[in-house]
Amino acid sequence: MDTLNYLGQGFGVALTPYNLVTALSGTLIGTVVGLLPGLGPINGVALLIPIAFALGLPPESALILLAAVYLGCEYGGRISSILLNIPGEASTVMTTLDGYPMARQGLAGVALSLSAWSSFIGALIATCGMVLFAPLLAKWAIAFGPAEYFVLMVFAIVCLGGMAGDRPLKTFIAALIGLFLSSVGIDANSGVYRFTGDNIHLTDGIQFVVLVLGLFSISEILLLLEKTHRGQEAVEATGRMMFNLKEAASVFWVNIRCGVLGFIMGVLPGAGATLASAVAYMTEKRMAGASGTFGQGDKRGLAAPETAIGGAACGALVPMLTLGVPGSGTTAVMIGALSLYNITPGPLLFQQQPDIVWGLIASLFVANIMLVILNIPMIRIFTRILAVPNWALVPVIAIITGIGVYAVHATTFDLFLMIGIGIFGYILRKLDFPLSPVLLGFILGGLMEQNLRRALSISNGALEILWSSPITFGCWILTAIMLFLPLLRIWRRRSAQRRALANV
Amino acid sequence: MLTIQRIFAAVLLLACIGLALMAWPYQAAFSYEPVGPRAFPLLILGLMGLALLYMLFRPTPVVHSEDDPQLDRETLQKIGICVALLLVFAGTFEPLGFIVASILVGVPMARLYGGRWVPSVVIISLMAIGLYLLFDKLMDVPLPLGLLDVLEN
Repeated sequence: MDTLNYLGQGFGVALTPYNLVTALSGTLIGTVVGLLPGLGPINGVALLIPIAFALGLPPESALILLAAVYLGCEYGGRISSILLNIPGEASTVMTTLDGYPMARQGLAGVALSLSAWSSFIGALIATCGMVLFAPLLAKWAIAFGPAEYFVLMVFAIVCLGGMAGDRPLKTFIAALIGLFLSSVGIDANSGVYRFTGDNIHLTDGIQFVVLVLGLFSISEILLLLEKTHRGQEAVEATGRMMFNLKEAASVFWVNIRCGVLGFIMGVLPGAGATLASAVAYMTEKRMAGASGTFGQGDKRGLAAPETAIGGAACGALVPMLTLGVPGSGTTAVMIGALSLYNITPGPLLFQQQPDIVWGLIASLFVANIMLVILNIPMIRIFTRILAVPNWALVPVIAIITGIGVYAVHATTFDLFLMIGIGIFGYILRKLDFPLSPVLLGFILGGLMEQNLRRALSISNGALEILWSSPITFGCWILTAIMLFLPLLRIWRRRSAQRRALANV
Repeated sequence: MLTIQRIFAAVLLLACIGLALMAWPYQAAFSYEPVGPRAFPLLILGLMGLALLYMLFRPTPVVHSEDDPQLDRETLQKIGICVALLLVFAGTFEPLGFIVASILVGVPMARLYGGRWVPSVVIISLMAIGLYLLFDKLMDVPLPLGLLDVLEN
């Protein structure tokens, strides 16, 4: 009953005209920032901290603004994913897999509105979950130690390969490339410089923005060059802008499942939207089996990661608020913003400043509703990007990509690094390597190494800690199954081929 | 395509070995933990090496989708020009400033993608100035002015 009281109080805070305007402008700014390639929620939130501080917003309004921008960015990120096949950030990589093919089939409007709807349901489920389970989930998340995290990440990487279907080896190599790239730079534990080649620009590692923009923007620019050569356009938008009831109904259960999944994954510190969208997509692909056309524009393949991202974006706020542990890069930036206001997130925050916590939770409801209302009529404006000819679009993408990379460190070294990574990404693409595992490996790499070393420090070097607890043991069994699946598939195909040859 | 894949696998394998040799001496001067800084990279490089060895001997055929045209000399040339333009952009970004570098590189790039001279020059110039104002003035992302520095004062 207490919770409902507090929530009512929270809506009192969120529904003041001042905070409503804050949430509205936050969602608008967020959507536009998320729309621009290379500017994701991390940049959006990071850019707004000094502005929010300079505007003299009270702490609860500042937090509402940042949360609204966060949601708006997650929302806007899909637009470049679906229309241009350039994921604005790692979590929307999965959206491109089916969203872009849908856009190419002339269903760009349907894809955008359906993804907006999915994301809304995911966020709604997660916000409800947050209200109900925030105190309980805090306890549950603590039960995950470093060993459990490490094994969970191994499982995630193997999952990628196991689910990739026809090319498990290439997926595996791609993920390993990502894992390796994450170890470049100064080692936080020992201070050893790794793989920097005495270059000072590499000391704090390869920036995620540089990697993502190089791999996706630059290689896409080069790929577009081939296609204009043949007189092919990137994507054409025609037909309906709204999804119909039948389409919404066909993904309804996907929405529910992936919303819950996204929320749970979002709550786990360190997992976040990237892992949630990947696992949601892979699970739905598995569940659909032969009836699915995943990778070629299946509506479920679009709804699954979008719902999970919506759920995880809200779920990620739970560990941030209850434990002070960020669940994603964006929430880490938000913790930085809070500390500017002398607010320390953690269990005490719920008792000492309930206005801030519950005002934020209530404003998530408000911002989500705003996003759906804003986005459905604005889809026409978004799809208008497609009418822009390639010759005008590509140089602008290249220039904005340059700005995005330059904004991180203000060095031209990053620009050169991005071009190098872009050429490498282009070669990988031409050789049929999937690129998203590189990114996922890069994100998980740092966390994986930290957790492995922490786990082995706890056990003083004894490897048993990695499989002694029930959670880790269960994860290893699942990992083994995942490893076994592609082998089984290859073996089946081989024996089928042999039989076909024998019959001839 | 199989030969190219074999070459790619071989090059990457050599890179793996080189990086592993590079990682071998990585050791903490003093350490509080059982796992040092070189264990994880070596583990990853080892696994990658094994996977690449397998690929070297058993490359998988590349599946081409229908809208994926074969590379010919002309396309390769265009890709080369595009990469060169991007490198020029990175090189002139700071010395010439954002606006000048964007126009200098953006216009030939627009031409490369099939734009005509006049619309290319007009649109790219407007976008370069607009983006500068949006990011530098409105969003506080500092961008170098370079040659146009004199206009600032």
